[in-house]
Amino acid sequence: MARVSLRGISKSLGGQPILRDIGLDVPDGAFVVLVGPSGCGKSTLLRTIAGLERPDRGRLFIGERDVTDLPPRDRDVAMVFQSYALYPHMTVRENLAFGLRLRRVDPSTVETRVAEVARMLGLEALLDRYPRQLSGGQRQRVAMGRALARRPAVFLFDEPLSNLDAALRADVRVEIRRLHARLGATMIYVTHDQVEAMTLADRLVVLRDGRIEQEGSPLEVYHAPATRFVAGFLGSPAMNFVPARLEEGRVRAAGLDLAVDRDERREVVVGLRPHELVPDPSAVGGVAFHVDVVERTGPESFAHGRVGPVPFVARLDEATAGATRPGTELRLRPTGPIHLFDPIDGRAL
Amino acid sequence: MTGRIRWLESLLVHAVLLGATAFALYPVLWVLSLATSGAPWLEPRLWPWPVDPTLTRFVEVVGPSPDGRWLFGRQLAGSLLVSGATALVCLVLATPAAYAMSRFDFVGRGLTERTLLATQMFPGVAAAVPLYLLLDALGLIDTRTGLVLAYATSAVPFALFQLRATFDAIPRELDEAALVDGASRPVAFWRVVLPAARPGLAVTALFAFLTAWNEFALAATFLSAEERFTLPVVLHRYAAEHGARWDLFAAGAVLVSVPPMILFYWLQRHLVSGWTAGAIKG
Amino acid sequence: MTSTRVGGLALALLLVPAPVRAEQEVVLWHAYGEVESRGLREAVAAFERAQPGVRVRLLAVPFGAYASKLESAIGAGHGPDAFIDAHERLPSYARMRLIAPLPEPGLAVRLDLDPRHIEAVSIGSQLYGLPLALKSAALWVNEALLPVVPTTLEQLERAAVPPGHWRLVWEAENAYYVAALVHAYGGRLLSPDGRFELQGPAAERAVGHVARLIERGVSPPEADGDLVRQLFGSGRAAAAISGPWLAGDVPPSMRVRVEPLPAVEAAAGAPMVPYLTVEAGFLARGARQPELALALLRFLATAPGSLPRALTGRQIVASRAAWEDPRLGAEPVLVAFRQASVRALPMPTHRHMRQVFEPAARALRAVLRTGVEPGRALADAARQFDDAVRPPPGPRNPAPLLVALGLGLLVLLARAVRAARQPRWRAALRASLPAYRWVAHALLAVGLLVVAPLLAGAVTSLFVEVGEERRFVGFAHYVDILTGRGRGLLSAGSFWVTLGVTVLWTAINLALHVLLGTALALLLHRPALRLRPIYRVLLVVPWAVPNYVTALAWKGMFHRQFGAINALLEWLGGEPIGWFARFSTAFAANVATNVWLGFPFMMVVALGGLSAIPRDLYEAAALDGASRWQTLRHVTLPLLGPTMLPAVALGAIWTFNAFNVVFLVSGGEPGGSTEILVSEAYRWAFTRGHQYGYAAAYAVLVFGVLWLGSRFARRRIGQRGAVS
Repeated sequence: MARVSLRGISKSLGGQPILRDIGLDVPDGAFVVLVGPSGCGKSTLLRTIAGLERPDRGRLFIGERDVTDLPPRDRDVAMVFQSYALYPHMTVRENLAFGLRLRRVDPSTVETRVAEVARMLGLEALLDRYPRQLSGGQRQRVAMGRALARRPAVFLFDEPLSNLDAALRADVRVEIRRLHARLGATMIYVTHDQVEAMTLADRLVVLRDGRIEQEGSPLEVYHAPATRFVAGFLGSPAMNFVPARLEEGRVRAAGLDLAVDRDERREVVVGLRPHELVPDPSAVGGVAFHVDVVERTGPESFAHGRVGPVPFVARLDEATAGATRPGTELRLRPTGPIHLFDPIDGRAL
Repeated sequence: MTGRIRWLESLLVHAVLLGATAFALYPVLWVLSLATSGAPWLEPRLWPWPVDPTLTRFVEVVGPSPDGRWLFGRQLAGSLLVSGATALVCLVLATPAAYAMSRFDFVGRGLTERTLLATQMFPGVAAAVPLYLLLDALGLIDTRTGLVLAYATSAVPFALFQLRATFDAIPRELDEAALVDGASRPVAFWRVVLPAARPGLAVTALFAFLTAWNEFALAATFLSAEERFTLPVVLHRYAAEHGARWDLFAAGAVLVSVPPMILFYWLQRHLVSGWTAGAIKG
Repeated sequence: MTSTRVGGLALALLLVPAPVRAEQEVVLWHAYGEVESRGLREAVAAFERAQPGVRVRLLAVPFGAYASKLESAIGAGHGPDAFIDAHERLPSYARMRLIAPLPEPGLAVRLDLDPRHIEAVSIGSQLYGLPLALKSAALWVNEALLPVVPTTLEQLERAAVPPGHWRLVWEAENAYYVAALVHAYGGRLLSPDGRFELQGPAAERAVGHVARLIERGVSPPEADGDLVRQLFGSGRAAAAISGPWLAGDVPPSMRVRVEPLPAVEAAAGAPMVPYLTVEAGFLARGARQPELALALLRFLATAPGSLPRALTGRQIVASRAAWEDPRLGAEPVLVAFRQASVRALPMPTHRHMRQVFEPAARALRAVLRTGVEPGRALADAARQFDDAVRPPPGPRNPAPLLVALGLGLLVLLARAVRAARQPRWRAALRASLPAYRWVAHALLAVGLLVVAPLLAGAVTSLFVEVGEERRFVGFAHYVDILTGRGRGLLSAGSFWVTLGVTVLWTAINLALHVLLGTALALLLHRPALRLRPIYRVLLVVPWAVPNYVTALAWKGMFHRQFGAINALLEWLGGEPIGWFARFSTAFAANVATNVWLGFPFMMVVALGGLSAIPRDLYEAAALDGASRWQTLRHVTLPLLGPTMLPAVALGAIWTFNAFNVVFLVSGGEPGGSTEILVSEAYRWAFTRGHQYGYAAAYAVLVFGVLWLGSRFARRRIGQRGAVS
């Protein structure tokens, strides 16, 4: 178990910068999720930590050791790959034992560890099968088992759930969380799925274009996004953004007029989460929402439409959803914070 | 109605395939019947059945030499050895290089690939004499080692193309998983990538084997000890200037064809594993 | 584990170089077939008995590799102590300094050898070999069909034979045999100063006579030695012109006799005079045991060394003393051949003699198969002969080339230094270091054993070998080739015409390979096809059989008289075709052979490609309402493309250089028109007096053409890729 520190990590591929001056501290035993859209550099960053990529600049520490120049095998990390990368010519047992064998762990220990991991993940019955004889979910568990058997200082996960179906994904998510609690190991997890990111992380790191956009606990990041990008990336459906003008302590735009606690005069982008709005016909100002479509998913319903010319989504309670017809106009009142962003650089104000 | 059409179609397919099979086998059967005919053929013959069938030609080719030694046996063993060693040396040379070309980007890779392709384009007609002098300088003339080296290296360019495609088809994550699991690059290559590449390796080895197994000109020029002659050299001796024995040549040809046939049969499922997997993925 | 170790040990043991020769060992090479080998072996055994402590290592070298093996082995000091070869090769061997003169000029005389034979193996007063055996043709007569021996060719032509039988079987397309008739008409093949003389009225009349023999059904068309032996041996021919080796094919029950070749009434009754070849034992230069080798040759030339060769090996031995032995006297066939040899004309000892045969044979085939008028065919032959023996280009000064090369190197060096100074390049180089460890050994090995010999070969294209001297001639070979050897760019056999044929050859073959291979793969890929495994196995058989074997089988199948293809045509009610008489049919025969050899590869590649196309794409196409043809056209074939592309690229290169097929099947017939660039290069290297420099220039040009072609193709494919 160890702390992971990145200091000024930069990397380019073919003249294209992939990582730009990344600094990050992962405390011992933390579960850190790197999240961001595809191409943001999160996988490259993870692979740099694993030692599969060499940074052009910067240093990388695991525990107290500077591992920047060490090959992967000397870093004491384990990794679960998106494609699982199970060794096709080895049985499950051999797959689980491979890392230990390479480290010349004595055979009896190997056996105990494999048995232990198999029990932990419910793989006992599959030990003598080959990967091609396993289902997708089973393969995923073997891939995790392979990492677990090693008992490394740091676990790295590269989108390990993206090849599973939705139900299985939710189960495994819980499983991973439980494993983390049980092992207390440092885990770094890459995903583009914000639900996974929110549910799994102790600390969330949002990446964009090779830079860290924001870092913090999931709720911190969710409730206080540092940029419009982060705000839009986390939460489903995504936050609504309405360009507006701030003056006299109010933000105004076509169909929108809200009081805020600021007394500047400037152009802003107003951010409102779909979940943080309620219909309130009596509201003064508020949001005039023209509804086009109502989507009813059972527990929740979402109305899609426009505020002024801007596309807009809002959550509705059962009763309102049932009563709302396309074409009607609802007056909404924010229940949560009103986020304001700079229209040019997207920073939160 | 549709059942009938389907039946007709299936009949047509089989007719075409049977025709193609006949086309493929006909010349081979011709050689076989020449080898097993006890009497010469003097009619224009359509059907390649032997006249007055006999196996004496095979006995004559395979049997002991006049001095009582079983030369054919030694030559067969020698041929197998040279061809097997060629396959082995070719793999040893080509496999790591192909792996590097598949996995690493290095200065000069493009040049290397172009040079390898160029060796396939350059007719070897004028290269035999320099090669002879070179092997002579290395003291390898009239040795099987020299022959094996010459064959193996000439088989390397094609082997590289093929193995590279094989490795390209094996996901990089596999090597990376091994690296993270604690393997060095060579260990990952040896214990994870190579086992996954087995079909491609086998096919590459087959082609290298055939290079040596069928080669005549270099073997005849380089080897001067009868017991070291490879089978094509032995076979060509039946094509003497006066009194060529084509019947024995045919019998020998049939025998020489047996090992490749067995290997092809054995490996047929994998014959193009490397080619296809690589191309579809890209 | 143990088994691999044992295997490794066995490997190591077998790969160990041969032990050093024993002191008293003498090595003798020959290219004899079976029967003659046996006789020689017995004679050698007699020598070993007479010389205790001496061992003779006999090596039978395949005839096809004999000359080039002698050349490279003796040149590098790995040759035999002595070897046996025909006397007419003496001048070229002497010129290349592969043989040493015998130390005692009077030796042959003391051995009581025939002065005519001694002269054949001497240059001036210098004796180079000891005559061992004689080769000349005579007339074999099957007494059952020809009770009265004809004294003239015309009598033989008129003889009555049962239907389906031939009056005279002989290799009428082989100038060696036709020479006998030419001599009867007062002509000759080569002048004493080495000019082609198979021209003029005498030669034309002789060739015309040969044509008549075929036309009138006296002799079979397209006969090779094998056919002659088979026809005569099976009693299907009244007479044969052949050598003593025919005896092996004559069954004991057949009553035969051997007579000198008949006279020719049309040539004023002059007799046919065959060529005489004196097979001699030569002392190789650099022999390790020259005394022993000489002793061996000497023994072979005496009666005890000759009798086994005659009695067992059926040779007409040169030793006069041997013929006094009663056992030889009891061999009527041998005696008759010896008598025939007395009348035979020793083949001229001129280094150009060997160059006569290929053009002469082409001319004969042109006349006999295509009906070309003899005068024209022989004029063509003369031209080809002159091409082959034309004097080497004069020496050039290598300085300009060296300076240019030096400048080029300097420029490269400067660029390398500049690149090396750039930090980015240096970083890239440093990052490449681990990769180099993986590729270094392979690149080193290929560089040394493949690339270096090829480059060295390419460099020889700037030289010409004149005897032992290597003369720098600059780009003279290239100029010569590219300008059609001074005979017009589009004259027959010029580089440009051959290039056209080669391109056509490559395009047609490749198209058929891909078409046939893909079509069969599509059929084999049908779901629920029965017997699929069997078809798959049988259809790749052509790939598995050594191609020199099957190429020869195809050649046999295209034989005019006895080939299976013509049999098939006749069965179908068609007319038999002389396949190698016309460009179109000869080319088609080559293509058929090569398509047969190459389609399994494409089929297997296509099968692999098909199995990799996801099934749901077909389902999607079916849902979109695509017909099967549309699915094939818009789904299957486009997706197959990327798989086939590398195979097609390599296939194009291989086909372009597929010298084996052309060389073995059509042999360039008719008149060299189906020759492709590579087979042309091989002819210059091996059948036209070993002009390696000239052949190397061809090789470089082939490379150049392929290189340009590949660049062009890559650009075209690149463009198409960009568009789609």
